[in-house]
Amino acid sequence: MNDLIEVRDLSVHFEIRAKGIGGARRNLTAVDDVSLTAKRGQTLAIVGESGSGKTTLALAIARLASGKTTGEVRIDGKDVVSLTDGGLDWMRRKVQVIFQDPFSSLNPRQRAEDIVREPLDNLTTKTKAEKAEIVDRFFNAVGLRPEQKRLFPHQFSGGQRQRIGIARALSTQPEVIICDEPVSALDVAVQAQIINLLRRLQDEFGLTYLFISHDLGVVQHMCDSVAVMYMGKIVEHADRLQLFNDPQHPYTRALISAVPAVDPDLRNRGQKLALVGDPPNLLNLPKGCRFASRCPLAEPRCFETEPPLRVRVGGHRVACHLVDLGPEASAEAVSPSAPEFP
Amino acid sequence: MTSKNETGPLNAPTLSKEKASSPLSEAWTKFRANHSAMVGLFVLVLIMLGAIVGPLLYPTDPFELVWRPFSPPGADGFLLGTDYIGRDLVAQMLVGARVSLVVGVAAAIVTILIGVAVGALAGFYRGWVEEILMRITEFFQVLPTLLFSMVIVALFGASLLMITLAIGIVSWPAVARITRAEFLRIRELEYVTASRAAGATPAKLMLKVILPNALPPIIVQAALMTGSAILFEAGLSFLGLTDPNVMSWGQIIGSNREFILQSAYTVTIPGIAIFVAVLAIALVGDGLNDALNPKLRQR
Repeated sequence: MNDLIEVRDLSVHFEIRAKGIGGARRNLTAVDDVSLTAKRGQTLAIVGESGSGKTTLALAIARLASGKTTGEVRIDGKDVVSLTDGGLDWMRRKVQVIFQDPFSSLNPRQRAEDIVREPLDNLTTKTKAEKAEIVDRFFNAVGLRPEQKRLFPHQFSGGQRQRIGIARALSTQPEVIICDEPVSALDVAVQAQIINLLRRLQDEFGLTYLFISHDLGVVQHMCDSVAVMYMGKIVEHADRLQLFNDPQHPYTRALISAVPAVDPDLRNRGQKLALVGDPPNLLNLPKGCRFASRCPLAEPRCFETEPPLRVRVGGHRVACHLVDLGPEASAEAVSPSAPEFP
Repeated sequence: MTSKNETGPLNAPTLSKEKASSPLSEAWTKFRANHSAMVGLFVLVLIMLGAIVGPLLYPTDPFELVWRPFSPPGADGFLLGTDYIGRDLVAQMLVGARVSLVVGVAAAIVTILIGVAVGALAGFYRGWVEEILMRITEFFQVLPTLLFSMVIVALFGASLLMITLAIGIVSWPAVARITRAEFLRIRELEYVTASRAAGATPAKLMLKVILPNALPPIIVQAALMTGSAILFEAGLSFLGLTDPNVMSWGQIIGSNREFILQSAYTVTIPGIAIFVAVLAIALVGDGLNDALNPKLRQR
């Protein structure tokens, strides 16, 4: 099978309840009918601003979201949303997570080696010696020295702590690693080191990454394909080159134009698309396109009906009324509730 | 699988000298620098030594009538004098220290066990588990503690075990609330999610991941609980709700209370002992609070 991760109609709901008995319940849908795929050995980036639901989506794929999850997540063809106990352990060995904040993602009362060994303790039946050997191997693989094994997290720098987090994610030799903004808490020089490390590890172990980020500049260097999220929905999903060279959705264009460029020629290429206003409230969504209120190109129909995610030439998917799908694509148009992949 | 390509700034020269200092050993360094806490610890150790070896070095039976009643301190060879029926106060104080300390520590342990169990389950599972457990906690919290413990002791008999349990049963709500608050805070931290991703079961998450990190305020509370349990036991003994065959500081005060005007020393001496012990424990608890509180640690 070519697609290692297949997500279909995945939604995550949170029930918000006013305090006290019989308080009013409201449903917040943080991830709304999201479908996407990632190929084995490749990197799929999920980008979007704060509150777009990208982290919730990532956690839901790893079965870590606290909300109610519906839909399908297939890892290697096996649906993981319904897994329990033993099946869940199988999935946890296969899917690991690197977290955003290296200062809060390591237990301050554990030594570095215990942190890296924790997945092995819980998910495998290896002997002590085997586990110690694996811990040594991955300490080395992420560029930490063996004598640092006995140290506690607060004795490391931010970049080193993220390396411990990466070693922990590698320890069960997973196929999928979900990177939840792995570099956004680090300073730029360290960001580059960690990005390079992640790329080298991908080659070395044949990993598939799901790379969550709000920084298209970082994504550019990492990914093979990109999904852009806005308010819990995917608004555009395409290969890296397609997306960066030919962005279709106005939101994607605004994001790309916001990436700072060092080269002055690039800097002035194309007009800047600055977004105004705030995203709408997830508890009180507009009935039309969720982006319409901030979209510089919005037309009356954008406020009336929600655009479905439609397939354009070359498998480029985009959810916008204003996008010309190209001659052969209109037949493939699908409804918003059940996007169909070619 | 060597990887020295992007490890430049990692090899900071200072790091190789660094020792693995655990959060607890750092707390001890902090605690040692706190003078009042060290004084408290010193006094506490003295009292404990007195309680442990004192009766061996001074083998007079605290219940034996050795001399005439109300012999003042220092007179007739009795360092602290004798009580209302002529028993040696030094022997009573030394044996009483054992009971008071043991009851204090045991009651604090009971308090912590109940409080941590209730608070941990409520804070970890949330939802209806939390609702039910916290309503129960509030019910126990609004009961008048002294009255309730008196009822328990009166109903089930005035044994030391029952007094310890009674103190524990009326004191746990404060610990439950602190534990729940810590669990609510810590369960949202990323390293708990990371442990879940690493396959930790709920029991493991509660006991091995969250609880060790929730421990500092609970330890402080345990220290303060020990002091208030000693006071509580003294209060119950003073009211006569105690095992008359067991000597404790509260028991000395209680049995001599009718003669407080004739010979004040019989109640003053154990009173001062209780005061000093509770103060020492409070100082230690305060020092622990400063040493373990992460907010102060960062300053």
